[in-house]
Amino acid sequence: MDAILKSDLLVKDGAAPAKSSVFWRPTAQTGLVSWLTTVDHKKIGFLYGVFALFFFLVGGFEALLIRLQLMFPNGTVLTAQQYNTMFTMHGTTMIFLAVMPLSAAFFNFMMPLQIGARDVAFPRLNAFSLWTFVAGAIIINLGWFMQDGPPDGGWVGYAPLSSKTYAPDHSIDMWVMGLQLLGVASIAASLNFIVTIINLRAPGMTMMRLPVFTWMTLITAFLIVLSFPFITIALVELMMDRLFGTNFFEVSNGGMPILWQHLFWVFGHPEVYILILPAMGIVSEILPTFSRKPLFGYPIVVFSGASIGFLGFSVWSHHMFTTGMGTVATAAFSLATMAIAVPTGVKIFNWIGTLWGGHITMRTPMMFALGFVWMFMIGGFSGVMHSAAPADAQQQDSYFVIAHFHYVLIGGSIFALLAGIHYWFPLMFGRKVSEFWGKLSFWVIFIGFNVTFFPMHFLGLNGMPRRTYTYDANLGWNTANFIATIGALTLGVGIFIYFAVMVYTYFKGEKVGKDVWDARTLEWSLPNPPPEYNYRVIPTVHARDAFWYIKQHKEEIAKEEAEHAKAEADHGGIHMPFQSIYPFIASVGLLIAAVGISVIDHDPSPGFWGKKIGTAMVGGVVMLAGIYFWALEGNEGYHLHLDDEDHESSDKHGAKH
Amino acid sequence: MRPSTLLSSFARWGRASLALGALALSSGCDLNFWRMDGHQSTIKVEGPVARSQLEVFYVTCWVTLVIFIFVGGVLAYATWKFRARTAAEERAVPPEQGHGNPLIELGLIGASVLALVIIAIPTLKGIAYTYDVPEERKADLYEVTATGYQWWFKFEYPSEQIAGAGPLTTGNELVIPVGRPVRINVRGADVIHSFWVPKLAGKVDMIPNRANFLWLEAEQPGYYWGQCAEYCGDSHAVMRFRVVALGPKDFNDWLSQQTLPARSVAAPKLAAANAPKAQFASLRTFKPNETGITDKFDTSPLEAWKAKQFPEKGENPALIAQGRALFTAKACVSCHQVRGHEGAGISGPNLTHIGARTTLAAGLLENNPEQLQRWIHNPGAVKPGNKMAKGYLDNNIKLTPDDEVALVAYLQSLK
Repeated sequence: MDAILKSDLLVKDGAAPAKSSVFWRPTAQTGLVSWLTTVDHKKIGFLYGVFALFFFLVGGFEALLIRLQLMFPNGTVLTAQQYNTMFTMHGTTMIFLAVMPLSAAFFNFMMPLQIGARDVAFPRLNAFSLWTFVAGAIIINLGWFMQDGPPDGGWVGYAPLSSKTYAPDHSIDMWVMGLQLLGVASIAASLNFIVTIINLRAPGMTMMRLPVFTWMTLITAFLIVLSFPFITIALVELMMDRLFGTNFFEVSNGGMPILWQHLFWVFGHPEVYILILPAMGIVSEILPTFSRKPLFGYPIVVFSGASIGFLGFSVWSHHMFTTGMGTVATAAFSLATMAIAVPTGVKIFNWIGTLWGGHITMRTPMMFALGFVWMFMIGGFSGVMHSAAPADAQQQDSYFVIAHFHYVLIGGSIFALLAGIHYWFPLMFGRKVSEFWGKLSFWVIFIGFNVTFFPMHFLGLNGMPRRTYTYDANLGWNTANFIATIGALTLGVGIFIYFAVMVYTYFKGEKVGKDVWDARTLEWSLPNPPPEYNYRVIPTVHARDAFWYIKQHKEEIAKEEAEHAKAEADHGGIHMPFQSIYPFIASVGLLIAAVGISVIDHDPSPGFWGKKIGTAMVGGVVMLAGIYFWALEGNEGYHLHLDDEDHESSDKHGAKH
Repeated sequence: MRPSTLLSSFARWGRASLALGALALSSGCDLNFWRMDGHQSTIKVEGPVARSQLEVFYVTCWVTLVIFIFVGGVLAYATWKFRARTAAEERAVPPEQGHGNPLIELGLIGASVLALVIIAIPTLKGIAYTYDVPEERKADLYEVTATGYQWWFKFEYPSEQIAGAGPLTTGNELVIPVGRPVRINVRGADVIHSFWVPKLAGKVDMIPNRANFLWLEAEQPGYYWGQCAEYCGDSHAVMRFRVVALGPKDFNDWLSQQTLPARSVAAPKLAAANAPKAQFASLRTFKPNETGITDKFDTSPLEAWKAKQFPEKGENPALIAQGRALFTAKACVSCHQVRGHEGAGISGPNLTHIGARTTLAAGLLENNPEQLQRWIHNPGAVKPGNKMAKGYLDNNIKLTPDDEVALVAYLQSLK
């Protein structure tokens, strides 16, 4: 009821959309304009997903080049600089342009559906987040098309290697500005999600009834809001050093390179949980559905997610055990890191508890989810090994670490995201992926992944440092590297099968009806694909597994819905926000400004200021204009009226009802 | 201080289980990587610091292995036992909709905490032990300073002061005494590097503006492989070094040899016209990244190192004199010091006794005439982006094959 009333306050009933030509409200439902101006969280989520998967493939291609270079000792597939570029871009791409936006795709698409809302709290801000993310991705990848090349400072961009002295060209500038834009996008999106989850829950959807995926969305959003400012500061300082000759990291003038590491990892470690918590959320949805029973120990799973997020801010220096922190700091961060194993372990226990006594139906999403639990366990255990600082002194920056975080990020995050795509595909597109091809892709990916990364434990313990473009044959690393490359190629084939099948299914897959998995959460109560307005009537939630309850209490719910439908119609029908082009324009402004700051040449002559600052200012003006018009056009919307067969009529074009 | 016997038994068990797990893999084909017995192994350690770190690793390995078997076993059992076997079972009445069991949860949390305490205790001990030389051994301490440059290591011996030249300085091969704790003060000159000799000790970063240190000890004479472990730019992968551990007498002999100025080979006066021609076969073409280490050297590196301490057979004094002149003429002197000769630069490695080292270009190439010529012929091809290649370009330095041969002869003579 609350949600209905709130949405009603936002609208001036029957307002004519095209007030004046300045405040043009686009209405296109198809074509490019509809995508650029959309404020529908499902379309935005879909776009996040498409961009993320594109960059996932790009990052995967970079990884294959890395593995080919290392297939044999003294490899010559890439030059030293090309190799360094590849691992820098592979890391940056996979973290910021693949896994994070893929999680964001699910946040956008699923979270409002799970809480029974019709959109996120700020639909236009959501569009702005999307397009700013795209702008950031463009800036980071501009180097491929320029003489300077893409960045090669490692994804951690340690100063002073990333300083003007040691990286004089623009590639690091692009990396810096690209990450800044991604930060803007992530923070804006997270604020949006936080407000949405706090305010737009359907009646009865108390916090302790939220689906676990939504809980993890909320925790992740808080992590983003609290951790990104640190990297923003670090990047600003680096930018100042590079452009204006400040001395934050400039050793010759007393700067402290170690400062970069602290700022980076105060962001960087929560970032790890930003990547894994959504995955845990997805798995916590899939396991109950396919076990046909509720999540074991829901409050503890939620609470452990929150404690992982909280503790995540107190362990950043375990990335810096070799920087000479002294015994006290090393011991403190060592113990704090071990402490994180407890809430993480608790989640695994609860997932097993969920399976226990269930009716486990082995569908593809379940295979990926179980694969996640196994692989994440292994990655978690090698994480415990790193937490023991003396052992880490040998493992840090070796292939053991590479093995560890790929078990957590591929075996963890990616497996869960691939599970999520399979799981929600029928809801998003009304089609179901073939079980045969889905399971085949799972096994090829699972085997390829393990063959690639398990030998890397041995490589690391045998002393192979990471980020090395070549190695000699006499160090005992040949066989493991060869096996790893074979595994990587297999993994590549698996991923190819997975996405080929996805694309096929999108166009030609088997059509399925509502609630194909006999699921438990609210989003499955929708027809597929969900209509633009999501819920015909805002649902009322009576239990934690809301849809499961609805299925058990059909008559009672039908009666209740009819009442609410009437109440809602009295309030003016389904309120929908207008589309808007201004978020897109604001993002374009940011893109132009970032190009000005990062790409235009550093010419010491006065003309430098003209060109460089000029471009940045043009971008700034475009952005401000976008935001200004966005504010002035107002947050009006229109009302949809559905007849009994769900046929729409709207007052979108000024029709009074 | 020796770590307790409990830890040693953990170590033995860990080793056994690792080997066992991998044995299945190894049958029939050349999957020997699981032995992890390479030159940079962190498993086949040869010093107390690395051993202490290894023992902590084995504790973590053992504890997590037990948990993995237990939790994984339950997971596998649950997956198998509760799977729906038929389509009818899938559609059967749903199971009991239980929401959890707080007692089980609390019990498991308690068990996890206990497992972590088992890991935490040796971890804390290890942190204290590996941080600095134990008090009772400080009297025996030997101290050196290691500085990381893009892409090589400078080693200084503060206790060996040379009149008018500061501490004894070498490059890329660190010679230490056996059986004494060696404290290495690590410094970064340009970007961050990391000092890592896996068989002797874990790494410590060489950070500009930060006075870090580590300690290590070699238990027996040996030749150890080390490598920069922090990404430091283009040639990070080929920034390597060696540690040579010598017994007391050998070490003192080495010190007294090193503190001497550069060796001069008595040269007959000769006119430019009858300067000797190239002695070596002309330089063959090397593939990019081609290895510069021969198997022969690799099998007995310490003996190879000892042999390098003596003058090469068949030295040609005339050629050496010509090389020495070229060392000045081609501006090598402006970056490299050859104490007692003309070389005075300090931005590159000190070459006073380069002929007595086993490797070139920061542990990358074996120190023999062929590899030395390969290196000075085109340093950028061996080590992309390095300053010597840049120096050639900036100063328009061109070497003819004869120049290269003479320079090689000179540098090889610097024992």
